[in-house]
Amino acid sequence: MLSVVEKTPLSVDAAPVLKVEGLKAYYQMNYFGVRREVRAVDDVTLTIKRNEIYGIAGESSSGKSSLIKTIAGAITPPLRVVEGSVKFDFGGKVLDVYGEPERMKKARWQHLSYIMQGSMNVLNPVRKVKHAFHDFAFEHMGLSERAFRERVEKHLQRIGLDPRVLESFPHQLSGGMRQRLTIALATVCEPDFIIADEPTTALDVLVQQDVLALIKDIQRRMGASIIFVTHDMTVHAAIADRIGIVYAGRLVEEGPTLDVFRQPQHPYTAHLIASLPRLGDKTRRSALPGKPPNLAEPPSGCRFHPRCPLAIDKCKTDNPPLENRLSGRVACWRAGEVAAA
Amino acid sequence: MFKILRDLLRYNREFAIGFVLTLGVFLFALAHFWAPMPDSAIYLLPPDMPPSAQYWFGTTSRGQDVLWQMSSAIWNTMLFGITVTILSRLLAVAVGMISGYLGGKWDEALMTLNDTMIALPNIPILLLVYFVMRDSMSWPVLAATAALLGWNYDARLIRSVTLSLRNREFTRHAVFAGMSVPQILIRQHLPYVMPVIFFTAMNNLIWAIGLEVTLSVLGFSDINRPTIGGMIYWANQHQAIIAGIWWWIVFPIIAIVLLFLGLFLLAISVNEYIDPRSRLSRMGA
Repeated sequence: MLSVVEKTPLSVDAAPVLKVEGLKAYYQMNYFGVRREVRAVDDVTLTIKRNEIYGIAGESSSGKSSLIKTIAGAITPPLRVVEGSVKFDFGGKVLDVYGEPERMKKARWQHLSYIMQGSMNVLNPVRKVKHAFHDFAFEHMGLSERAFRERVEKHLQRIGLDPRVLESFPHQLSGGMRQRLTIALATVCEPDFIIADEPTTALDVLVQQDVLALIKDIQRRMGASIIFVTHDMTVHAAIADRIGIVYAGRLVEEGPTLDVFRQPQHPYTAHLIASLPRLGDKTRRSALPGKPPNLAEPPSGCRFHPRCPLAIDKCKTDNPPLENRLSGRVACWRAGEVAAA
Repeated sequence: MFKILRDLLRYNREFAIGFVLTLGVFLFALAHFWAPMPDSAIYLLPPDMPPSAQYWFGTTSRGQDVLWQMSSAIWNTMLFGITVTILSRLLAVAVGMISGYLGGKWDEALMTLNDTMIALPNIPILLLVYFVMRDSMSWPVLAATAALLGWNYDARLIRSVTLSLRNREFTRHAVFAGMSVPQILIRQHLPYVMPVIFFTAMNNLIWAIGLEVTLSVLGFSDINRPTIGGMIYWANQHQAIIAGIWWWIVFPIIAIVLLFLGLFLLAISVNEYIDPRSRLSRMGA
């Protein structure tokens, strides 16, 4: 039924499908001669393996979306890549996102698809749903009109949608159906890599659960890798294999989901996890004092130090490197000193 | 297509009235191809005859049948209006969508041109063109000139719509999926802009017809080619109102009012049809 059965599902294969090295992407603005630089993505290095679901967590304005946009190669000025590289490996074919824009353009949708923020509005309100499939996927699949239509209908059925939705306008569908459709749209070409920016944020909890199960199911069946962003830690807990925590444009901690939840190494991660409500626990959740820093003038040293309960003098002057520790990586001078909340 | 027309006629009374009026005026104009005498011939008939069984709308002081004059006149006026509308829509859509979507330098250059055009007064420019061209002035030249003056407000309107579409998710998605700029503009944005184009087209058609009437009444057009304005021009030249030849002026005016009314009703109802939401609520779906 699917052409990708040979990929072994459930096993995380060792070869990395995505390699991000020393990536720096800044918003560079020039207003009336005053240059302003917002360091939204600052020196991020990460790899994602085949069949893996990687979640990126962090609070609002921490640079999550900028990071994921930069990885997708979907950035527009004023956001620019200043340094570093993003390389995909689709079955031995290495693709440098910022080195070969032409090849990148061809690989999109076929190998790499993107579920964007607010993706419920991805469908053009004045056109029938079938046109969206045609516009985005038809050229990449190299099928005849009829075979394409059959493929799309089959795909929709697998995702639990009636193929009749193809003939409707977006406003005739419910939010959950539209969300399913955008996932169908992103997966119809059976890509190797899916990038999802807050895929469930606008949905209520029940639909959210449904959609998450769907994403996981599709990923398992197609053997794709997924990188997704959300501030909702429960979503990470539900589907991510590994999570990376982003604070002020930097990756501060990364590790297998369970380990990060059980034993956070970075004080910021510890706070994020401690803020989650738990069943039966009626104590008040403490909020982290302060606000995320202004990325135009980030604090010196470790960017978390003004809000960090464990901050020492070294934190104010020196930026901690992201180093291997236990099963993951962490960037903190006092890593591991926080007791798991 | 046929089914859409039938549904519109059945469910939308404005459309039905507008359709009947416009069709009626159009068929009347079409009839001039079977006119018994050429429309440029003068003093073939007894002048100043009031409406009668023989001459339904009377005859002019120049010995022409008002009925057949009007038939040609409406045809020519509509032809002029439609030519202006099509030409100016092409300009407005191209300028509006390109400057809205591409932004930056394109936007600056095109909008500077646009605003300059808005600032120019229409009638004096048309008069200037008329005096420069004088003998070689034909209606296609006049139509082209009018089209060059009639696109600018609508280009700004279309630009504003495109500007908001540029930042919608579906545009970003389309860019990511590798659609080219012309593909995005034509397949993704044009359907959204379509109601605006339609509505401005109807307005523009009415404006163009009005402009033609104005210029012809003043005599700044090919006066030997019958148009609605041209008829009124000749009626004024022969002091038809003072002489009591009311039919020479009243019938052309009634015809043009019916045409305007029909086009307006068509515009609002077609507009409603193009928006899928209001279409469905009208049909009770």
